[in-house]
Amino acid sequence: MPLDTSAYGLALLRVDGRRWNELRRMHAQIRTQAAADGSSYLEMGHTKVMCVVTGPSEPGPRRGGLGGTASGGGASSAQSKDAEVAVSIVVAGFSSVDRKRPGRGDKRILELQSTISSALAASLHTHLFPHSTISISLHVLSQDGSLLAALINAATLACVDAGIPMTDYVVACTAGSTSTYAANDEAADPLLDLNHQEEQELPGLTVATLGQTDRVAVLVCESRVQVSRLEGMLAVGVDGCKQVREILDRVVRDKGHRMLLEGTVERGAGLDDMEVD
Amino acid sequence: MPREAEPSLNEKQFLLQAIQENLRLDGREPDQYRPLGLTFGDEHGVADVTLGKTRVLARASAEVTVPYADRPLDGVFTIATELSPMASPAFEVNRPTETEVLLSRLLEKTVRRSGALDTESLCLVAGQKCWSVRVDVHVLSHDGNLIDASCFAVVAALRHFRKPDTSIEGGVLTVYTPAEREPVPLGWLHSPFCVTWSYFGDEGETALLDATRAEEQVRVGSCTISLNRHGEICQIAKLGGTPVDALMLLQCTSIALAKVKEISSLLDRKLDEDTKQRNKGGRAAELTAENDR
Repeated sequence: MPLDTSAYGLALLRVDGRRWNELRRMHAQIRTQAAADGSSYLEMGHTKVMCVVTGPSEPGPRRGGLGGTASGGGASSAQSKDAEVAVSIVVAGFSSVDRKRPGRGDKRILELQSTISSALAASLHTHLFPHSTISISLHVLSQDGSLLAALINAATLACVDAGIPMTDYVVACTAGSTSTYAANDEAADPLLDLNHQEEQELPGLTVATLGQTDRVAVLVCESRVQVSRLEGMLAVGVDGCKQVREILDRVVRDKGHRMLLEGTVERGAGLDDMEVD
Repeated sequence: MPREAEPSLNEKQFLLQAIQENLRLDGREPDQYRPLGLTFGDEHGVADVTLGKTRVLARASAEVTVPYADRPLDGVFTIATELSPMASPAFEVNRPTETEVLLSRLLEKTVRRSGALDTESLCLVAGQKCWSVRVDVHVLSHDGNLIDASCFAVVAALRHFRKPDTSIEGGVLTVYTPAEREPVPLGWLHSPFCVTWSYFGDEGETALLDATRAEEQVRVGSCTISLNRHGEICQIAKLGGTPVDALMLLQCTSIALAKVKEISSLLDRKLDEDTKQRNKGGRAAELTAENDR
């Protein structure tokens, strides 16, 4: 971890050459798995995740992962009026520099699962699918910071691909601040989309918003930071989420357009007003 | 797996309607805590916290162990949370529920990761011997807002705790009993406290502090903010739920800071009272011993 981001003050460029408000290269694909109901592959810089959605379907006898319903209650899906969103995350051993085998009950992973499940359950129209389960399985292929954000974005794309009705995209990104928690310098800049090195060194948070709105679905901050820094970081994060939404929307529209050209789907009534270029 | 009894439709509607009209069942203001009580045990490091009907007991203990191989200069610090069936029929032994996992993660992030306890001061002989400090959190009664109560109990227990004094002479470690040498407090850097907001309404437009269990069951989302009285955020966790306006979250944070300052001064006062009470006998005994000589 002994990396020096103090050079930032000289050229206002970050370790990977970005300016404070720039996202890393974001690349996404949907419908990558033919067998799945919905699937996506997403890269945010070097963070790479894959997502497969099955359902909404009848709950199977064995349910993996932590489930949550929109109401936040612990009701199992069999009795519930809302569909249950079950999320499971698999972190590949080769995804980070040090290969470590996480235990089965790794609380960090359980927390991530529960967060994603609860965030998506609030946006998906789960009330349309009573007594059923939407199971989202996420695979982390490579980690370079902003893991939770990438997982949320990938899960959203896969749900779009699965055709599950939802209010809007749940989009996420991270934001940080160049100041340490101790320094009370006013010159500290907020940063957008932290990579692994920055995440280790600087205070940061993950924000997920509902589409273009300013409404925050997920806000996770795990580092010590002055309360006065929060406003700047949150503003930059929410702004970043809007950019991410544009990117994801483009991915979905492009794929739709290509499928029309290929004749995979018929042009429906609703598709006429879709803006494709 | 037993499930928690859900409130009936009538109860739910009544509660939500009341909240919409800015009324709470127990007549509190939206940003008012239930009475927060703290008593220390006879032993050092036992804190019993009551928050309305919620009751949490935290107990700190220390023993000498071998440090982790990758951190030879650090002591070991663990927080163990256990939600037993005593608190709620939905909790089972040896089968962590989502509540328990999230609670222990929050305490971990708030107290351990924020560096409240100086773990380097727990090191005795580098790479060979260190103190292992452990806090056990027992929930005795669950009536909502376990997070804030548990966090307060953990911090209170750790600040009240005294570990045996030690000395090293020629590579030989001696641990003194309380009779030989007065036990010493832990190296404590700052006191973080959790404040949990609960959100109600379709857009999460109503925010309430310190929700009771009934309120927790009908809320659409929650956000736990951990701060210390110096205005440093140690952790924020809004883990999903209905999206809430960003400005509202900022407001919630500034109110939380005021609450944390109150809680912090309450703990300081209680600790002072307790030291005075303990000193009465202790100091007098010392004085007589000196006089005898």
